[in-house]
Amino acid sequence: MIELHLLILVIVVSFGFVFSYLAMKEHDLLKALALSSVQSTFFALGFYILAAPDIVLAYLAIAVGAYTALVILAISKTERYEVGE
Amino acid sequence: MKRDAVVAFSFLIAFLFIAYAVTARNVLGLGGTELRPLGEFYLSHSFAHEGLTSHSPEVVTAIVWNYRGFDTLFETFVFFLAIMGALSVLRLDGEQLRQARELEATMPHRKMDLIVRATTKLVVVMIIAISASIALHGHLTPGGGFQGGSAMAVAALLLFAAFSKFTLERKGLTLRHTISAYAVGLALILATVLAPVFLYGGKILEINLLPGEAGLFNLDVGEYTAVTFGFLTVFLVLGIPEWVFKNVLRRELND
Repeated sequence: MIELHLLILVIVVSFGFVFSYLAMKEHDLLKALALSSVQSTFFALGFYILAAPDIVLAYLAIAVGAYTALVILAISKTERYEVGE
Repeated sequence: MKRDAVVAFSFLIAFLFIAYAVTARNVLGLGGTELRPLGEFYLSHSFAHEGLTSHSPEVVTAIVWNYRGFDTLFETFVFFLAIMGALSVLRLDGEQLRQARELEATMPHRKMDLIVRATTKLVVVMIIAISASIALHGHLTPGGGFQGGSAMAVAALLLFAAFSKFTLERKGLTLRHTISAYAVGLALILATVLAPVFLYGGKILEINLLPGEAGLFNLDVGEYTAVTFGFLTVFLVLGIPEWVFKNVLRRELND
């Protein structure tokens, strides 16, 4: 019998995968960044279900806050749109 | 586009299959194993009152800073090297910094909405309180110096976004101050790491010799300060607009 929290874990992490795929396919880098922070929110939920609150605290602050800000600063120094295929 | 969708969908199916096999069918034999001897050692010793104890009910922090303390110490050094690398690649000397100031002052000053600014002030106060509770309670509840420090860095980022970098620099959050505070945090970590050697004749990082939970608490506070101001240093350095940077460097070439 699959336990309920494992089922929730699978659903949450699948959503994370979907958003990471969308982030990879996005050509607007700022939109890709927003999608990737949604993905990290789902992964943080997954860590919480796996009973790792220490990781959740660090992961949310880094992945949604600091990482996003660093990449926005990096994008501001180059171009917003990815060109070529 | 069609091919992409097929690839993505098959990845998802594969992931679901592996997840099912590992959790429900127990293919790898991970589920249901009893506590290993090492885990038992951590659980029984971290809050004991004698022996190799950390005086801390929070086993994760005890492992991170005591039983696996050198890992965390060297991780702090890696963070230090990363920040020093960013600083040495992007630094401006005194005269260039003055020129950059002048150029930045000519930029059009855009002001955020009153609603945004007021909300940001409230939220920043809350984030600072939460990050302090994460870091200062790190040896009692989940959390610790790194987690608290990164939450605090997020508060500073919100201030950057809602007000501007120049407002904060005028209020005293300059590069010199953040680097000094970073050095203070690192000094606290180093002092706590070396204290057992000089005060009690123990080994480096043998913090269970220190009275009570002083060791873990000091390390958490030091890491909190170091991570907060380390991140702030990087943001302040990276926050200089690109055209200002190019302008200053071009002047250096022309001289």
